[in-house]
Amino acid sequence: MSEDVKVKVRGLTKKFGDLLVLDNISFDVKKGDFVCIVGPTGCGKTTFLNLLVKLLEPTEGQILIDNEPADPKKHNMAFVFQEPSAYQWLTVEENIQYGLKIKKYPKDVIEERTKEIMETLGLEAVRKSYPHELSASLEQRVVIGRAFALHPDLLLMDEPYAQMDIKVRYYLEDQVIKLWQKTGSTVLFITHNIEEAVYLSEKCLILSNKPTTIKEEKKIELPRPRNIASSEFIELREYVTSQIKWW
Amino acid sequence: MNSADTKKWYYMLPIISIAILLGGWMLVAQGEGSMIPTPYATLMRFLDICVHPISKAVLPVHMWMSLKRVLIAFVFAIVLGIGLGVGLGWSTSFHAFADPVFEILRPIPPIAWIPLVILWCGIGELPKVVIVFIGSFVPIVLNTYSGIKEIDSLLINAGLVLGANRRQLLTEITLPATTPAILAGIRTALSSGWMCVVAAEMIAAKQGVGFLIVRGQESGDTALIVACMLVIGVVSLLLSTILSKLEGVLCPWQFSKTK
Repeated sequence: MSEDVKVKVRGLTKKFGDLLVLDNISFDVKKGDFVCIVGPTGCGKTTFLNLLVKLLEPTEGQILIDNEPADPKKHNMAFVFQEPSAYQWLTVEENIQYGLKIKKYPKDVIEERTKEIMETLGLEAVRKSYPHELSASLEQRVVIGRAFALHPDLLLMDEPYAQMDIKVRYYLEDQVIKLWQKTGSTVLFITHNIEEAVYLSEKCLILSNKPTTIKEEKKIELPRPRNIASSEFIELREYVTSQIKWW
Repeated sequence: MNSADTKKWYYMLPIISIAILLGGWMLVAQGEGSMIPTPYATLMRFLDICVHPISKAVLPVHMWMSLKRVLIAFVFAIVLGIGLGVGLGWSTSFHAFADPVFEILRPIPPIAWIPLVILWCGIGELPKVVIVFIGSFVPIVLNTYSGIKEIDSLLINAGLVLGANRRQLLTEITLPATTPAILAGIRTALSSGWMCVVAAEMIAAKQGVGFLIVRGQESGDTALIVACMLVIGVVSLLLSTILSKLEGVLCPWQFSKTK
């Protein structure tokens, strides 16, 4: 396996009873890449991420991270779910630190990372607040912060902005790019929003309808910061949209 | 109505309800040969038993005896009830093993155990504590168990992905998330425990508020009965207030300001 491949998926198949959801999927993700996974609703995008973090077991096939079978206990991974998953009994600060404490990082590293994340995501003012005191978007920022605080080798995000209004979404998309560039993490980002996928990613994995296969791996070679009104951006967005169309 | 008036109105409502209760009570207690004591007669009887002993003890001592039985049983019920509830909710094999027995025993009213417990444990302190324990134990087990079963799987999955082991998932995620449900069980258990102690003392005791109520019945002393009933109510209210404060300490996130 090439040195710079972070995730290697080979022949991944998932069945729920007789229902074939993922059909013999294979692809590679390079270290430090930002990959968006797009596809029709219900095609199995979330199932794929759940397989990657072992919340589900594959029917067939292999997922290797750094050439070893994927395992959250072994690999430095983080996951941001669609619904806010902040721990209600922990303050914002304690939530950010939780993953670091689980992985037994030294105290000074925990302090340093907490400060870094708080500043980057603008959470200092709510440091001692509990999640239920925050708006949904602010709570999701806490969860993103908890994930990035680990400086994960692999960060998985499952439509994290699906429930946000457009203004907040734009802001958080820029925050994620900032954190990705700062930490050098490899990011797999699921979205059904094509504009978001083209804006964020270095590469789009376009999935087909069920039983799901990879229809195309599309490189997004646009300079950053990206301009969503530029003709190149619109052209790419329309191309990806046309690839997803099943009608 | 502006907000200041609304606030005043909310302060007035409990006073109005208590006034209606007292007014109704005074009304039904009027008349020759009424079996219901007046509020004044009840207050006088209360003051009397605070200084003049019945069965070698004044009211605070009787109260303390009952409270002591409840508290001892309660400590055991909390420790064992949470333990069993966690076992049933957390371990599938333990649930399969213990749940059928628990489900058979659970619906039996605690008071139905009284004759057996007296036969097994005699008429000392132990049987009363055991009866209160049975009454308090079940609500704690049930709330702990259902709290664990109803925990949002997203919280567990988030922990799993962060690399938490099984012990961390239990102690750092499941138990904190379940604490409000456990405390609700403890609150239910406390009133159930009070009910049981009075019932146990009414059958076999020489001290305690349940004993005083039976003494009142035997001597036709309705003021004594009502005074004891009101004392039970007030003590329950105090315990409930203490539990609410404890909830604030154990679950501060539930009481912080809302968005």
